[in-house]
Amino acid sequence: MGLARSHAAVVDVEDEEHKATLATGSESTLRQRSTGPKHTSSADTTKDDAPKKVITSVFTQTEKYNSLLTLAGLTAVAIFSRFYKIYAPDEVVFDEVHFGKFASYYLRGSYFFDVHPPLAKMMLAAMGYFIGYDGHFLFDNIGDKYNDNNVPYIGLRALPAFLGAMTVPLVYMTMREAGFPILTCALAAFFVIFDNMLVTQTRLILLDSMLVFFMMCSIYSYVRFYKTRNNPFSLKWWSWMIATGVSIAMTTSVKMVGLFTVATIGVAVIWDLWELLDIRRRLTMQQFLNHFYARAIGLILIPVVVYLFWFYVHFAILTNSGPGDDFMSTEFQETLKGNTMADGIYVKYGDNITIRHKDTSVYLHSHKHNYPLRYDDGRISSAGQQVTGYSHEDPNNLWQIYSDSVDNTKIGKQVKDKDVIRLLHVATSSWLLAHDVASPTMTTNEEITTYSSEEDGSRFNETTFQIILESGGDKLRTMASNFKLLHQATKVAVWTHSQKLPDWAFDQQEVNGNKNIVQKSNLWLSDNIEGKNASEIDQESVKAVKSRSFILKFLELQGKMISHNAGLTESHPYQSAPIEWPFLAKGISFWTENDTRKQIYLIGNPLGMWVAIASLAVIIGVSGADLLSRRRGFYPLNQDVQKRFYYATGFFFIGWMFHYFPFFLMGRALFLHHYMPALVFSYMVLAAVHGFIFVEGVDGPISDPGPETRPRQVQRAIVPVIAYATGALLMVIHLGSFLFFAPLSYGTSAIDVAGLARRKFLPQWDFHFAK
Amino acid sequence: MRNGHSSAVDQTGVPVYRGTQAAAATRESSLEHYSSSTTTTTRDAATAHHSLDKNHHSKKANDSDNDDNDKDKDSSRLTKFKSRRSLPWYQSRELQIVSAITLLAFIVRLWAIGYPDSVVFDEVHFGGFASKYLRGAFFMDVHPPLAKMLIALTGWLFGLDSSFGFKEIGMDYIEPKVPYIPMRLMCGLMGVAVVPMAFYTVRNSGHSIHAATLAALLVLFENSLVTQSRLILLDSPLILFTAFTALAWVNFHNQRQNPFSDDWFIWLFLTGVGLGLSGSVKWVGLFIIATIGTSTIGQLWDLWGDLKITPRSWLNHFIARAVCLIVVPVAVYMLMFEIHFLILRNGGDGDGFMSAPFQMSLGHSLKDSPLSVAYGASVSIRHQGTKGGYLHSHPSVYETGSKQQQITLYPHKDANNDWIIQKKDGSIPEGLEYIKHGDVIRLMHIFTHKRLHSHDHKPPMTEDENHFEVSGYGYKDFPGDANDEWRVEIVESRDEESGKFLHTLDSKFKLVHNNMNCDLFSHKVKLPKWAFEQQEVTCMRSAVLAKTTWVIESNAHPSYPADARLVNYKKPGFLGKFLELNKVMWDTNAGLVESHPYDSRPSAWPLLKRGISFWGKDQKHIYLIGNPIIWSLSTVAIVLYVAIRGLLFIRDKRGYNDDFNGLREYYELSGGFFFMAWTYHYFPFYLMDRQLFLHHYLPALYFAILLFSVTFDLLCRFIPNRIRLIAVVLITAIAVYSFRTRAPLTYGFEWTRTECEASKVLKTWDYDCNQYPDTYAQYTVNAVANTTPIENTNNNDNNNAIIDAFERINDELVVSEGEGVVDDVADVAAAAPQEAEAAVAEDAQITDPAESKLHDADIDPTFDFEIPVDNDVDENAEVNEKSSA
Repeated sequence: MGLARSHAAVVDVEDEEHKATLATGSESTLRQRSTGPKHTSSADTTKDDAPKKVITSVFTQTEKYNSLLTLAGLTAVAIFSRFYKIYAPDEVVFDEVHFGKFASYYLRGSYFFDVHPPLAKMMLAAMGYFIGYDGHFLFDNIGDKYNDNNVPYIGLRALPAFLGAMTVPLVYMTMREAGFPILTCALAAFFVIFDNMLVTQTRLILLDSMLVFFMMCSIYSYVRFYKTRNNPFSLKWWSWMIATGVSIAMTTSVKMVGLFTVATIGVAVIWDLWELLDIRRRLTMQQFLNHFYARAIGLILIPVVVYLFWFYVHFAILTNSGPGDDFMSTEFQETLKGNTMADGIYVKYGDNITIRHKDTSVYLHSHKHNYPLRYDDGRISSAGQQVTGYSHEDPNNLWQIYSDSVDNTKIGKQVKDKDVIRLLHVATSSWLLAHDVASPTMTTNEEITTYSSEEDGSRFNETTFQIILESGGDKLRTMASNFKLLHQATKVAVWTHSQKLPDWAFDQQEVNGNKNIVQKSNLWLSDNIEGKNASEIDQESVKAVKSRSFILKFLELQGKMISHNAGLTESHPYQSAPIEWPFLAKGISFWTENDTRKQIYLIGNPLGMWVAIASLAVIIGVSGADLLSRRRGFYPLNQDVQKRFYYATGFFFIGWMFHYFPFFLMGRALFLHHYMPALVFSYMVLAAVHGFIFVEGVDGPISDPGPETRPRQVQRAIVPVIAYATGALLMVIHLGSFLFFAPLSYGTSAIDVAGLARRKFLPQWDFHFAK
Repeated sequence: MRNGHSSAVDQTGVPVYRGTQAAAATRESSLEHYSSSTTTTTRDAATAHHSLDKNHHSKKANDSDNDDNDKDKDSSRLTKFKSRRSLPWYQSRELQIVSAITLLAFIVRLWAIGYPDSVVFDEVHFGGFASKYLRGAFFMDVHPPLAKMLIALTGWLFGLDSSFGFKEIGMDYIEPKVPYIPMRLMCGLMGVAVVPMAFYTVRNSGHSIHAATLAALLVLFENSLVTQSRLILLDSPLILFTAFTALAWVNFHNQRQNPFSDDWFIWLFLTGVGLGLSGSVKWVGLFIIATIGTSTIGQLWDLWGDLKITPRSWLNHFIARAVCLIVVPVAVYMLMFEIHFLILRNGGDGDGFMSAPFQMSLGHSLKDSPLSVAYGASVSIRHQGTKGGYLHSHPSVYETGSKQQQITLYPHKDANNDWIIQKKDGSIPEGLEYIKHGDVIRLMHIFTHKRLHSHDHKPPMTEDENHFEVSGYGYKDFPGDANDEWRVEIVESRDEESGKFLHTLDSKFKLVHNNMNCDLFSHKVKLPKWAFEQQEVTCMRSAVLAKTTWVIESNAHPSYPADARLVNYKKPGFLGKFLELNKVMWDTNAGLVESHPYDSRPSAWPLLKRGISFWGKDQKHIYLIGNPIIWSLSTVAIVLYVAIRGLLFIRDKRGYNDDFNGLREYYELSGGFFFMAWTYHYFPFYLMDRQLFLHHYLPALYFAILLFSVTFDLLCRFIPNRIRLIAVVLITAIAVYSFRTRAPLTYGFEWTRTECEASKVLKTWDYDCNQYPDTYAQYTVNAVANTTPIENTNNNDNNNAIIDAFERINDELVVSEGEGVVDDVADVAAAAPQEAEAAVAEDAQITDPAESKLHDADIDPTFDFEIPVDNDVDENAEVNEKSSA
C-alpha cells in the first residue's frame, strides 16, 4: 500500500512530474491496457486535450441535483424505516431497562453508575426533559407497560431513531465526498437503511444509534478535512479538523467503543503526517511541526476537553445520593447529597465492633469450635479455634479493639491509620491470631485462629495487626473506612473468599492470611459499634456535603468504568464470539410476548451481511494481487483507480478492521450488536467494491485545489448499464431479505411456527416460539 | 512503508516496465537482505536509477551503490566485515575459545548438581511424569511430550524406580535410590550446550570473536539460566532447541548466495527440525516458529521483488521452505506425540480429561453392544457435556435435601452404573419393544432397585433456583411415582433411524423430567466427601444443551436376537487422538488463571522485578533470579536498538541517507533478527491471561543478550582489538562478580544474612534474608542440633487429644523461634505452603482430573446476574426471566 499512498500524496503538488508522465504516458497506457483487462480508463482518451485550468468540481449541475434528490429520497426512506410503528411494543424492551432507567436517574439527579460514558444517556434525559417526562418510572423489568405508567416513551425512542435515520445521509455524503458515483453511494446508503440489526437497534432506547451516528460524523468530517489538505491552515481546514475532533470525542462519550473510531482517524492522521514528513514534500521541519501541533490541538486537545466536559455535566446533574454510591470511594460519596457516609462514627479503643468483608459481605466471626487437627488431605492444623466469615448478624461477630500496649492506656482514644491493634473476640474472650500454619483450604495462605486471653500471653506478637486505612480519612470510622488488617509478625493480610469450609465449620466462609497484601479483596470495613449509633453519639455533627475537584472525581469514575467493564466476564446465553458476527451465526432475543407470539429478535440482514463479508474478502484479494504484481513490475490497475481503491475503499476497510478486530482481545461478554459500527463500514466497503468491479474509471480530482496546485486532469467515471443492473439486483436481494426478517425486527406481527422455521437459516438462531 | 526510495519510482506515474530493460536492470546486487527488519534500499534505489527519478538524494544513493557493485561484483558488501578463516578448523582460535568457554560452562552449570538431594519445585511434575512414562500410565499435561520423554528416557537408562512418584517438594532422593543426578545432568548438559551456540550464532552472523565470546560468557554467567538448567525442568531443553534453531537459521542465511546447494538444504532442514523440537517441548516454542516464519516471508518477499529470479525459481524457493519449515516441524511434532501414545498404553490419572473413544485406546475396553435399545434392557449411560463418566448410584444417601439415595457421575466402569429401562408405569413389556424418541421411561438402578427420581428439593451443591435434586427413590417392587418419569428426547443422531429410535452410542438424548420439565444435567461440580467426591447430577430448567446430553454406552437384554447389529466406539486413529489431546491441552492451558504467590506479569520481566522461590530448607534457599548486570545490559541493548532504528527511520524520511558505508545494513541484519526474536518471545505474553512466571522470559533474554553483543560489536567497531579485548574482560568480570554475589541463591548454598541483604538490588526481590544465619559457623551448629531426633507429630497424632497437639505444636513453635532451630514441626508448617506452591506451581501440570474444574470455562448460563452495572450482562437477567416465563 505504501507505494500507492506515497504517490497519491504527492500527485497534486508535483505536477511537473505528472506532466512528464503524460508526455511519456501514452505508451505505458497502451501497455497497461493489454495487461489490465478491466479499467481501460475512459479518462485516457481525454487526457491530452483536457483543459489545463484549476477546476473546483468535476460534477455538473445536473449531477448535483440528482445527487441531492437521491439523498433526499434515501433520507425519507430511512426515516420511515426507523419510525415505522415506533410505538410498538409499548413495553420495556431489552436494554431499555438500563438506558431508560438512567435517563430517569438524570431527571431525578440521583447518582448512578454505568460502564459507559454519559453523553448518550444525557441526551436521552434531555429529550425526556423537553417532552415533559419527570423520571418517575424506573424501567425495572422487560415487559413493563409504558402506557400504564404514563411514560412518554415514543419521544424517548424518537431520539435514537432519528439519529439512526440520519446515519443514512451521512453514509451517503461520506461516500459522495470520497468521490464515488451516485449509484455506489446510494447502494451503501440503501444497505444501511435496510439492515435489520441497524433498524432494530435504532428504534429502541439504546445507545448504539448515537454511537454510529457520531462515528459517521467523525468519518464524514475527516473526509472533508482530508479534501482540504491542499489549503492547510485555512479556515475550512481548521473547521473540518475541529469538527472531526469534536465528533470523535462525542463518539467516545457515548461508549468507549468510540476509541476504535479514534484509532481509525488516528492511523489516517499519523499516516498523513508521515507523508508530510517526507523530504519530497518540501516542508521545512518548522512547517511540519506546525502541522503536527495543529493536529494535536484539533484531534487530541479539543476531543479531551469535550470528553471531560460531558463528565462535568454528568457530575453537575447527579448531585444526589443514588444507586451508584456503593461503587465509589468514600470521598466521592461524601460529595453526594443524602449519602450514608455521614452516619459513620469514629471507632475508639475499647469499642466492640463488627468487621465486615467488603467484597463478600460476611462478618469476621469466631466461635467455640476448633479446626480439626487433621484435614482430609492429610495436612495437620493447629487445632485452634475457628475464625470464619459468617453472613448473618450474630453476637459472635463482635470484636473488641485493643491497642498493642499491654496496659491499655489508649482506651477511649480514636483508632488511627497504621495503628497496631489487637482484636479480642468478645464471646470467647480470645485474641485474633495469625501464624505460619497452612489454612484449611489454601495451603499457600496462613491459618487465622484465636488464642485464649487466659493463656500466658507468650504469643502476644502473633496477635498484633496493623490497621491500614485505604479510604475514608486517617481515622477509623464505621461505614466509611475501608481497611486492611496486616499481621505484624508474618506480613499477611486477613482475607476471606467465597470458598465454604466443610461441615466442621458449619459451611461458613474460610478466613485466612493472604500473602498477597496488595490485593483489593483484602479490604474490610467496620459495620457498627455495638450499642452506639450515629444519631445518638454524633447528633450534632451532621456532615455537610463535601466538594471534590472535578478531575479527581473524573479519574475515579473513569477507572471504575474500565475495571468494571473488564470484569464483565460472566457468560450470557445470548453472548457471541467476535468470529461469529460477520457470518451472523447468532442473534439476541430482545423481547417476546407470549399471548400474541410476537417477538423482537436482533439479527442482521443475513444476505446483505454475507455479501458484505464476501466484498471484504475481495478487498484482501485485490490488494494482495496488486501488491504482488507491482513487486514484479506489473501495474494491473489504472493509477487513479488504484489510488481511489487504496485511499477511499481502503480507509473504509481499515475502519471496519479497527471496529472489529479489537473485540478479539476483549475478555468480557460480547454481543452481536457490538458489530454495528463495523457493519456500517462493511456496507460502505461493499458498495465501493461493487463500484470497483463494475464502474470504469473514477471521478476526479475531488479534493480542493490549493494555491500551489497546478491544473489537474478532469476524469469521469463511466457507470455502465451492467453496474446499474447488478446494483439493482443487490438492492433487491437485500430488500427481500430485509422484508423477510422484518417481522422479527419490528416485532409488530406474529410469525407462525412454520414461518419461523423457514427463517431459521442457521440452527444456532434461537427464535422463541419456534416449536 | 518499507522504504522511501521505491516511492520515487512511482512518483513519475509511469509504470516502469522492467521486462525489456532486464538486461540493463540486472546490475546485480549479489547481496540480498533477508532480514525482514532490513530495508532493501539497494535494489529499489537501483531501479529508481533507471526510472525518471529526479531527486538528488536518491541519485546519490544510486551512484554509490553502483560504485560498490563495480568494485566487488562477486562478493557481498556485507562479507567484507566477516572474518576470514584461513587456519584449518582444528587449529582455529575460535575452536580454542569455544572449548575453553564450554569447559567453564560445564563447571558452572553442573557444579554440585546433586544438591539438593530432594525434590525441588517443579521436579514434582516432571519427575512424576517420568515415573508415569515408565509405568505407561496415561497422564495429561499442558506441555508437549518431548522434554518429558527425554527425562523419562534418562531415568529409565539409569534405573529409575517407577514407584517413586515425586509426590511433593522436599521428598528425599537418596533413600529410594532415585537416579536424580543423571536426570538433572541431562537438563544441565542441555544448558551447557546453549553456551557454544550463543557463540556461534553471533559469530556466524558475521560479528567479531570478541562479540561472540562476550555473548557466550554472558549466557554462561546468567544466574537464572544456571538455576533453571540445573533442575529437572523443561526450560533448558526449550532454550537449547530455540538457540539451535536460531543458529541453524543464521547458517542457512549465510548460504543465501548458493541457493539449493547441499549446505543450504542441510541448514534449512535443520532449522525445520529445530522448530519441531522447540515446539515439542513447550508451546512457547511457537514463538521461534513465528520468528523464523516472519523472516522467511521477508526473504520470499525480497526474492519475489528480484526480477532476475524467475517465477519458476521463486516457486522452488517457496516449496523448499514450505517443506522444510512447515512439513518437517509438523512431522517432528506429531512424531513426538506418536511416541508419547506408544509409551502410554495404559490408563492413568489423565483419562478423565479425554473423551470415551480416546479412553478406549488406553487399555479400557468396551464390549460391542446391540444397536437398538428395548424396554427391559440394562444399560449404562454416559454424560456427554463433561468427562465425568456414567450415571451412577450407590447405597449411600444425600446428607442434604431429601436424604434419598445419591445419584452421581462416576468416571469408571462399575456394576453400579447399570440401569434397567422400564415403561412409564414401571412395567417391562413382553417381547422386544424398542424405545422411540419422545417415549416416557423410568430408569431403575439394578443393584439397589431405586428409580431415578427428581423432585422439588435443592440439590446438594448448586444453589441456583433452576436446579433440582436428582435422587434414587423406591425399593424393590415399589410401584413408583410420577416423579420417576423421564422423557427421552433425541437431540442429535447419526442417521435418521437413530433420530427416531434410541440407539446405543448413535443417539444423543436428553432426559426430560416429565413433571417439572427440567433436564437431567451434570456439571463439573464435585460432591462432598460423603458422596465420595463424585460429580453432581441435578435436574435443571433451561440448561444449555451440551450438559444435558447423554448417550447409551452399553446395552444388554436377555431376549435380543443373536444377530442384532452391534456397535462400539470407533477407536480413534493417531490423528484423532493427536488432535483431541492438543485441544484438551489448549483448553487446560488457557484455564490456568489461578493466581500464584510467585507469578508475575510480563511488564515486570525486563526490569527483573522479582523472582521465584524454588526450594528452601535448612536455612538454604534456591530462588530464581537473574544476574542484574546481564539483565540490565540486555534491556539497555533493546532500548538502544529501538531508539537508533527509530531515529534512522525518521531521518530516512527527511532525506538523510545514513548508510554509514554499508555498516548500517550489516547491523540491522543480525541485530534486527535478534531484536525480532526478542519481540516475538516477549510481547505475545501480554495477550495471555494465564499465570506467568519470570522463567517465561528466559528465551527472550537469550536473544536480548545476543542483541547486546551485537551492540557491543557496533560500539567497538573502530577500537583496536586490544582495547576491545579489555572491554570484554571488564564486562565479563563485572558480570561474574554479580553472578558470584547471588550464587548461593542459584545453587542453594550457605549464606549469611548480611551478604544476603547486600545482594538485594531491588527491594521488590522477595527472598527472605532473615532465614540465613549471621555467620557461616552457625550452619555447623544447626546441623548438630538437627541430628537430635525430635518426635514427628505426623506419626502419633491418632491418640492424643486435640488440645495436647495444639499445645505441643505451640510449644515447639515457640522453641524453634526462640533458638533459631528449625525443627521438624516447623518444617511441617513451613513445608505446607511450599507444597502448595508446587501444586499450583508455575505451569501447573494438572494431573488430577478433579482439578480441571478450575479450567471449566463453561459456566451454567443460568447465572443470576445481579450486578446492576453493565447493560450487557444485565440483558442476561432479563433474557433469562423471559425464557423461564
